[in-house]
Amino acid sequence: MPRITIDEQEIEVVAGATIIQAAGQAGIDIPRYCYHPGLSIVGVCRICLVEIEGMPKLQVACYTPVAEGMVVSTKSERVQQARKHVLEFLLANHPIDCPVCDQAGECWLQEYYMQFGLYDPKMQEDKNKKHKAVVVGPHVILDAERCILCTRCVRFCDEISQTHELGIFNRGDHAELMPMPGVALENPYSVNTVDICPVGALTERDFRFKTRVWYLDTTPSVCAGCSTGCNIEIHTNTERTYKAEGRRVARLKPRYNAHINQFWICDEGRYGFLHVDADNRITRPAVRQSDGFEPVSWQDALQTLAEEIEKTRHGGGKIGVIGSAQMTVEDLYVLREFSRRFLGGDKIPVHLRPFEEPYHDDFLISKDRHPNTRGAELLGFSVSPAGISKMLEACHKGEIELLFVFHHILGRGFESGYIDEAFAKCRRVIFIGSNEQATSERAHMLLPASTWVEKEGSFVNRDGRIQKLNQALAPLGESKPEWKILRDLSRILGNALAYFEPGDIFAELAASHPAFQGLSLHDIPADGLLLSTTAAEAMAVAGEPG
Amino acid sequence: MSFSLSEQTEAKIDQVMQRYPEKRAATLPILHLIQEEKGWISDEAQNYVAQRVEVPPIKIREVLSFYTLLHTRKIGKFHFQVCRTVACTLRGGKSILQHLEKKLGIKSGETSADGMFTLTEVECLAACEIAPMLQLNDDYIGPLTPEKLDELIDGLK
Repeated sequence: MPRITIDEQEIEVVAGATIIQAAGQAGIDIPRYCYHPGLSIVGVCRICLVEIEGMPKLQVACYTPVAEGMVVSTKSERVQQARKHVLEFLLANHPIDCPVCDQAGECWLQEYYMQFGLYDPKMQEDKNKKHKAVVVGPHVILDAERCILCTRCVRFCDEISQTHELGIFNRGDHAELMPMPGVALENPYSVNTVDICPVGALTERDFRFKTRVWYLDTTPSVCAGCSTGCNIEIHTNTERTYKAEGRRVARLKPRYNAHINQFWICDEGRYGFLHVDADNRITRPAVRQSDGFEPVSWQDALQTLAEEIEKTRHGGGKIGVIGSAQMTVEDLYVLREFSRRFLGGDKIPVHLRPFEEPYHDDFLISKDRHPNTRGAELLGFSVSPAGISKMLEACHKGEIELLFVFHHILGRGFESGYIDEAFAKCRRVIFIGSNEQATSERAHMLLPASTWVEKEGSFVNRDGRIQKLNQALAPLGESKPEWKILRDLSRILGNALAYFEPGDIFAELAASHPAFQGLSLHDIPADGLLLSTTAAEAMAVAGEPG
Repeated sequence: MSFSLSEQTEAKIDQVMQRYPEKRAATLPILHLIQEEKGWISDEAQNYVAQRVEVPPIKIREVLSFYTLLHTRKIGKFHFQVCRTVACTLRGGKSILQHLEKKLGIKSGETSADGMFTLTEVECLAACEIAPMLQLNDDYIGPLTPEKLDELIDGLK
């Protein structure tokens, strides 16, 4: 491995590494626009110029491989001067419209200009006019004047999404980023181009003008859109929601995870938060009356429910539960324990046969749109796609008196009236979920559950990797995480489940389940942990197919 | 619209493609061959080249937009490219252009309605010794005077 010296620091680096990578290893940040570790290297922006002893000219750090004994300076006078002039050229046609630009605050032109701008610019040429506010796709808008032609987005469309929508047309300072005529930037990963755009050329149509980025808080978490479990950052805007129609989640951004999503997330997952602050959120418990739902207090709702459970059990009736793989490992564990204690624990189904196959690919979008199917499987839930249909059949036959439904939308994909009939045969249907939908409309009682951005817990992704969710927001209204709802209910029923936070639940699980042995919720690393597969598989085999 | 080339051009393209280890390296020679036959590069031609050299069509479009000597619009049978750089301008290039505009009845950048003439202004063609000059199709002509131009155009008709 070659030894090189960067800024008087001697380091050993992997052969074939470029200077920018080697510097990163030494904790030295070389400025970059076109260089992106997830894309091919082109060396077009020239901002990463460094001085190498023995070379007459400055070299681009992103493209130059290290060699034994190389002595590099990233801070010399010559380098500083060069950066100033490169920036001057990059800004030659840039409109400098920061006050109205959505990128302001996370713009690398601003960032580097503050660090080493030429504060007395010499450029006197007129700026070229280019296309502005071009809607290039369903989620992305382009301002070609702000573009510095780094081609990151072009390379993303060529190399990652492989859809080739974007190109650089014309020549010299007339060169302009544009989509292919007649083609929209609408691949399933299109908004990653906005993430990697170092300037304000590509911005997100949904997020645009809603808030300034410096008002956002960031919480690392995991996408709940499918079983891939891409790592995300939840950007929340809690103090200025009036600027964004009351929305607290401003946007989701990908978070690097070498094992799963690298730098990317899909568009479907990215906009998977829109229900969090939607108007149809269920914010209070409610009970159906003749003229619609009547809000009740948690105390009253759970009291009524406890009485229903006891009545059913005394009468020898059966209680059905439809779980959901949208729930965290902790929620599911508590549901399992609750069910064993109070409902006569059966294997609880969590999956519904999809009425149409969703889009999926061999990159990040899984066919299974549930984030925690593996978790549910490990905990002994039935993940057979026919599970819920069987439960509904039992309802239809009048075998179930009391039915709990978590989250699932039961409506589309069934013959019209089938769900109504099934529910009518049950004495009570209790819906626990976050938003009003087909199931909640037909239920007798609604209990508001918090969404995944409002709770702490864990998901196990399709590869068996356990990952931690962090709470980014307080639960909306009176909603609570499912485990809390069940714990509170258990207190009324007597024989209470004693958990105070998801960590307690996880500790109990870790003590009793081989796949989770020795783990603690708060010690799950930022990039997750692959559960020991032998244990995981052993459990999966032990559980009979539902 | 289907796109087809003459057998000769197809044969030349096959030959050109063998010259390069990478197919896309043949992009420019192929574009020249097509322009030689068709006079310009249509969208269909662009897609055909993309297919031949195995790249997405947008990559060919980028190349076409980069080079002004590849035409993406139909041009006239006679293409006048008038130099507008310093040497020619000092020697009266501007009046040559104005005279052409008047004579042909079209402005710079336009093609006559009968499809005979196209007039464009170009940067230095490296023939300052014959300034003011223009390029007519593949030939350099200069030094020019309005009288010589009249003669030239009448000879074309």
